[in-house]
Amino acid sequence: MTLGLVLAIAGAVLAAALPGIGSAYGVQIGGQAAAGVVSEKPDLFGKLLVLQALPGTQGIYGFLIAVLTMVRVGLLGGGAAELTTQQGWAFFAACMPMAIVGLLSAISQGKAAVAAIHMTAKQPDSSAKGITMTALVETYAILALLVSVLLIFVGIPV
Amino acid sequence: MIVPMKKAMLIVLRDDRDAVTMALQRCGELMPIPPENAPPGTEQAGETLRVQQALKTIKPYQEKKGMFAPRQEVSAGVLQTPSAEAQQILDQIEQTAARAEAAAAKTAEFQAKIEELRPWVRMDIPVEALGGTKAAGVYSGYIDPAKAELLWNAAEVRDGAVMQLDTGSQGTAVLVYTYRPEEKALLEDLAAIGFSQAAPPGGGYPKDTLQEWQRQLEQAQKEETDAKRRLEELGKKSDALELLSDQTDAEQQRDETPYGETAQTVYLEGWVRSDRTERLKKAIEKVTDCYELSFADPAPEENPPTVTKNNKFITQFETITDMFSRPKNGEMDPNPVMGPWYWIIFGLMMGDAGYGLLMLIGLWAFKKLKKPRGDMAKLVNIMFFSSFTTIFWGIVFGSYFGETWNPLLFGPLDNPMGMLIFCMIIGVLHIFSGMAMKMAADIKAGHFWDAIFDQFSWMMLITGLGLLFLPQTQTVGMVLAIAGAAIVFLTAGRAKKGIFGKIIGGFGGLYGITSYMGDILSYSRILALSLATGVVGMVMNLLAGMVQGSVIGFILSLAIYAAGHLFNLAMGLLSAYVHDSRLQYIEFFNKFYEGGGYAFRPLQINPRFVEVTDNGEN
Repeated sequence: MTLGLVLAIAGAVLAAALPGIGSAYGVQIGGQAAAGVVSEKPDLFGKLLVLQALPGTQGIYGFLIAVLTMVRVGLLGGGAAELTTQQGWAFFAACMPMAIVGLLSAISQGKAAVAAIHMTAKQPDSSAKGITMTALVETYAILALLVSVLLIFVGIPV
Repeated sequence: MIVPMKKAMLIVLRDDRDAVTMALQRCGELMPIPPENAPPGTEQAGETLRVQQALKTIKPYQEKKGMFAPRQEVSAGVLQTPSAEAQQILDQIEQTAARAEAAAAKTAEFQAKIEELRPWVRMDIPVEALGGTKAAGVYSGYIDPAKAELLWNAAEVRDGAVMQLDTGSQGTAVLVYTYRPEEKALLEDLAAIGFSQAAPPGGGYPKDTLQEWQRQLEQAQKEETDAKRRLEELGKKSDALELLSDQTDAEQQRDETPYGETAQTVYLEGWVRSDRTERLKKAIEKVTDCYELSFADPAPEENPPTVTKNNKFITQFETITDMFSRPKNGEMDPNPVMGPWYWIIFGLMMGDAGYGLLMLIGLWAFKKLKKPRGDMAKLVNIMFFSSFTTIFWGIVFGSYFGETWNPLLFGPLDNPMGMLIFCMIIGVLHIFSGMAMKMAADIKAGHFWDAIFDQFSWMMLITGLGLLFLPQTQTVGMVLAIAGAAIVFLTAGRAKKGIFGKIIGGFGGLYGITSYMGDILSYSRILALSLATGVVGMVMNLLAGMVQGSVIGFILSLAIYAAGHLFNLAMGLLSAYVHDSRLQYIEFFNKFYEGGGYAFRPLQINPRFVEVTDNGEN
């Protein structure tokens, strides 16, 4: 196993771990707020569930990047590629947009989701507006995801 | 399209008021306008509250209804006349609930009392004998169990005696016998140790009291179980109560109809769809001959509610727009353009033929079994329709449950750049159609040149920039882009005064390119979401493939396939719903749509629990 491969794996690990942590936190604070509201208004469960789930996508994106990296360096099926150190650093760097933005945007989105949940508690009809506001945060995670995907798939020659 | 509204003015005799209100509710075409001096919203009527309370009471005792249990069906006539039988059930539920509550309170009371009495049970004199005789005093009280021994010693010194009883939550119960001449000093000594005087609860011999109280406790407990059993029985009649709830709701709605009154007549103003005026007339004719009904167009300063009328397909997508904001009266209805786009983009975001098939079957079954209503039904229909586009795009991009197989165009995973460009093109077309809507509105309003300067110029510029990427069309693209940019630069500042203002306005206009670029880039989320669905599906297949190899492994892999793909499908649906809506709200609507209308809520039968079979005249 070359140092390059180790670096690529480290990148994949961070891409899976950091956004996962962020999403877990985001979904957790959303869940706390939603549980409080549901204790008084059980009918809102369905609407609040959607809001609570929104910060969860970063974790999935990070997971996606990790898997794509593993596929690309041949860890899943087929022999692992003999990456040079430069290639390894390149993969590591390519994982970073998703790892960093995923972590922070999931936390921010969780906070927006909490606000939207409180709004929905007071005005159940506005839940779609709350969803839209919360989803705006995710744009940046999506842009980071795209940069990571394009780098991993097109940007780095193996 | 938006249905024009008419303002109806209805005058009927006072005596006919109830019959007419019933007819109006059955026909469901008139949305009353509260008169300006209308009394402020009345509190929820007592009856409705009572029924709701009763429903809550029997909820724990009710038989669980299956998720797909059909609703009970009643006719409109039944729904408008509260049944006496259900009233009785309501009374019984209230009485029984009160009984159960009282019994529960009594149980708790006696449990606490018995607990307090328990340490005293061994006391062998009646409570009335406390105090003592001429020569000897008898006192009762509590002492910390650890100090009971000290108490005994202290009493002996002063010629007294202590009898220790049992220990309860307040301490050990003790009886203190004193010799009167020494009594005062003894009691002081004992108090110093921690003896606090207290009388045992109840009277007579404590063990008799205990028996009596236990008997009463049992009685209360029996009463409680009895009442609960009765509630369980009543819980079986929840159907009747639910019907009653809908009936009282309907009745309350009728009562709240904001009639104005004169000496002999009552009058009601309201909005009605201009294509349904005849129906309203017929409904009233059926119940009375003596009425006056006139229709008028809304005055310019009046703001009628919004009703959109579209074909069966587009109507479903109205709920997406309505969640953002209903079109305002006089605005163009965005749904005929928004609906198809939502449909197409939803499919692109899911982008997997296998998942499309699952959606198709699952949602079809859901519709058949559950028969959802209202906004829920529309949402389910949207997803149901979108399963077709999902299958279509899945085949185009060759994605089947995360596996790539014979793509017609290319696989997004094999050619992400191609897919990205494809998404941008979809985005540009989407945005252009929004701008075209704005142009149409401008031209309709007589601002032909605004349409050219503000919309068409940008379309030229963006198209030109796009064509620059292809070598064959580079020249055309260049010309288009420059022409477009020139128009924007020359006209964006046309409202400003002075040459300076115009130039700055022109640059400001050109700077708007950043917002268009941002909007178009935003469509890259389509790629991201379709990749997410595809790759997670692929991983599920990989995981399942890894455990295969033995019989147990094979069974396990089936479980992984099922759970993994269902999870992925659910997350994909959520993401597609949210992000597709966002693209409509933010990228598409901001090009032309304002909204700000309010919903048409006629006086109608709108039951929560039951299904109305013959919806009156409808």
